[in-house]
Amino acid sequence: MTVSLRRALSEDQLDTSQALHAPLFQNVLVKLDPSERSVLLDLGAASTAMLALFSESRCCVEIADVAHFGGCDRLNSAEPGPGLFDIAEALLPERVTSDPVDIVFCWDLPNYLSLPALKALMQAIGRRSRGGTIAHALIYYAERNMPKYPGRFVPTEDRKLENHALPGELVSAPRYSPEDLTDNMSGFAIDRARLLGNGMQEFLFRF
Amino acid sequence: MFERNKKEDHSESQEFGSSEPDKTFGATRKSKPRKSDGLATIGRSIQISGDLRGDEDLRIEGDVSGTVELRNNALTIGKEGMVHADVYARSIAVDGETRGDLYATERVSVHVNARVQGNIISPRVSIEEGAHFKGSIEMDQAAVEKVLGKPAPEQKAKPEAAKAAAQKSAKETSSNLNPPAGTA
Repeated sequence: MTVSLRRALSEDQLDTSQALHAPLFQNVLVKLDPSERSVLLDLGAASTAMLALFSESRCCVEIADVAHFGGCDRLNSAEPGPGLFDIAEALLPERVTSDPVDIVFCWDLPNYLSLPALKALMQAIGRRSRGGTIAHALIYYAERNMPKYPGRFVPTEDRKLENHALPGELVSAPRYSPEDLTDNMSGFAIDRARLLGNGMQEFLFRF
Repeated sequence: MFERNKKEDHSESQEFGSSEPDKTFGATRKSKPRKSDGLATIGRSIQISGDLRGDEDLRIEGDVSGTVELRNNALTIGKEGMVHADVYARSIAVDGETRGDLYATERVSVHVNARVQGNIISPRVSIEEGAHFKGSIEMDQAAVEKVLGKPAPEQKAKPEAAKAAAQKSAKETSSNLNPPAGTA
């Protein structure tokens, strides 16, 4: 099945079926102390694999699934200002804990947001973060194009990342530079960055 | 209002008056879950607004808003089911749509194509790929127990502890009839 799917990809489609070695993602997992309570914010879709990964930890996982619940369109189409911040805040899940968020998994969502939309979303996330909160993100950097819709990243047993989104139409990637991100991550500063084998830039930000 | 797939077991109706209400969800319950021959179902044309309580397993295919309390039993929200309510049950399986918090002392399962918006508080949670979920999942056992209470002995306690608890309970029950047995 996988073989035929790969063969069906035309030259103008990105092959997202390969498991992605993302060392900074692995680094985040290694630093997660299972004996300490942690609050994780996942901007992507829920997956059993992610839950299984954290099932042995004392975690509270907040899942926003921003893309599925119409978040990208709502954020990108709103005028910058307080209204945009309100939209961003409404996209985040209601909280069951008052503990601040420790880790944010942005996946490739920032690529699908305009810079003002990204700024508003990260500002809303910053409101539930603490000094030292880490945000992980994957930015299309080397490739000019990216899939039309955000990926559905799922960790494998060896802690690589598989994109389970179906391959489809491509659109041009914004290819945000580190400067773009620094100016629009609302207090999340670049801590580390790595260029991955598939041409994406992996970032860790620190609040 | 309720459909039954099979005939109701009337012999169980005697239990209704005898069960005491729980003070803490899942922690101090004394009544055993009722088991009926068939599964009670709220059909797809049924709309309920208000508090829904029961003492048997239930499947919802209709629209329910308010609160659902089946604290000792299993709830299934079928593909056609739409529940806008906080739900309290022993286990909750979702194939349809829910808006509200899901509290389960044993397990919450969100199946493929389900749409869930709300928080999940349960010791065991599974979300199938293809399901859509927005909310928080409390996976810290201490925090879960704080909300749900400690698991009942019959569910989680070690066999030795359960046996000791049963013996203690038996002693207390029979203490008015028989003097305590001497220690051997």
